[in-house]
Amino acid sequence: MSRIGRLWNSLATPKRIPRFYSVILGILLLAGFIVPMALNDHQLYPRPEPQLQVSEKDPLAPYDRGGIPLKEPGIVRSQYPQFSEKAGMVTSYMSPIAIGVSNTTPYYGTSIYSSPGGLIDEILYYSRGFDTILESSILMMAFVVASWVALNFTMRRREEE
Amino acid sequence: MDITILGQQLLGYIPLGDIVLYLAPLNLFMFASTLAFTTIIAISKTETQVEADFGTLKDKEVKVDQKEFKIRRFLAIVCGLATAGAMITGDLFNFILFVCLIGIVNIGIVAAVKQVDVLDAAFQYGLVAMIAVLPLFGGAAMILASAGTISLLEIVNIPTTFMMLFGSLLLFIGVAGETGVAPFYATKAEMFRTPGSPFLLIIHLSSLLVIVRVIEILLIINKPF
Repeated sequence: MSRIGRLWNSLATPKRIPRFYSVILGILLLAGFIVPMALNDHQLYPRPEPQLQVSEKDPLAPYDRGGIPLKEPGIVRSQYPQFSEKAGMVTSYMSPIAIGVSNTTPYYGTSIYSSPGGLIDEILYYSRGFDTILESSILMMAFVVASWVALNFTMRRREEE
Repeated sequence: MDITILGQQLLGYIPLGDIVLYLAPLNLFMFASTLAFTTIIAISKTETQVEADFGTLKDKEVKVDQKEFKIRRFLAIVCGLATAGAMITGDLFNFILFVCLIGIVNIGIVAAVKQVDVLDAAFQYGLVAMIAVLPLFGGAAMILASAGTISLLEIVNIPTTFMMLFGSLLLFIGVAGETGVAPFYATKAEMFRTPGSPFLLIIHLSSLLVIVRVIEILLIINKPF
């Protein structure tokens, strides 16, 4: 009986909690190795196989989704097509600079230009846009807390004393 | 969309692209009570604690100064709104993002205090919250891979596989770390020992409601009945 009491007492020390938590998590993750994998291949956000586009010498590989901007939708499948009717309409839009760069190199899709230049990820900004808002607000709250602590606990500390 | 979730008829839904917030009676009740509590917190002032010395009359007031009050109120309101959002969201990934937001803001609410013990406990809680991000997102990714969707309204109709069970177990461990339930309560319990009562209560309320909600989500994913 006293052993259980000692165990509860040791759990009441905040310092031990991260270690205790990571041990439990580690055991669970090790148990995960024996879980049978059952992938559902009717995936929600499909893409053609990366090697397929690479071997076709497509400059946008592996991010080519096809389609013509504002005329023909690219391959963007969403969970509820009735709520995002215009999905895929601008996914193949490329800025003039992006078109110029993609004509000169076959590696455009994997270069740094592809993200701000042209290929618009509609899953991020349209069909799952609320997630993007939440992610950036998590980042903003972290900055609010960190900057408040930095301003009031480190920079202005000498004035108080 | 005519769907019943856990025996509740949906009163309506808010479509935001693929993320559909659904309004079932239980969720709507929790959403409304969170908003009401957040409003009460937003208009209330903090408590003042009195530290008494034994045998003397030197009582010391522990107050929260103006600047600390403002940042705490702001973070408490954000925490309340995030909890309210987590109550009605119908998307697993969205729910996890709300839980992460609650975790970050919880640390922020106590980050402004000057008691060293409380800051130590908040630091340890921050470590647990950061570790908990791994099982949270890992669990959601496993459920997405094995079910093919993360919308709860669709998962209701998909038969549970063993991998989904494991994913929801990971999800539960993640939420347990992030909210500080049973074996991991010590860090969060120490965080409360500071003046500033109504704002600190939102930490407590958010973890209680998130636990209720995650149990609902686990029932939806695993369908034990």
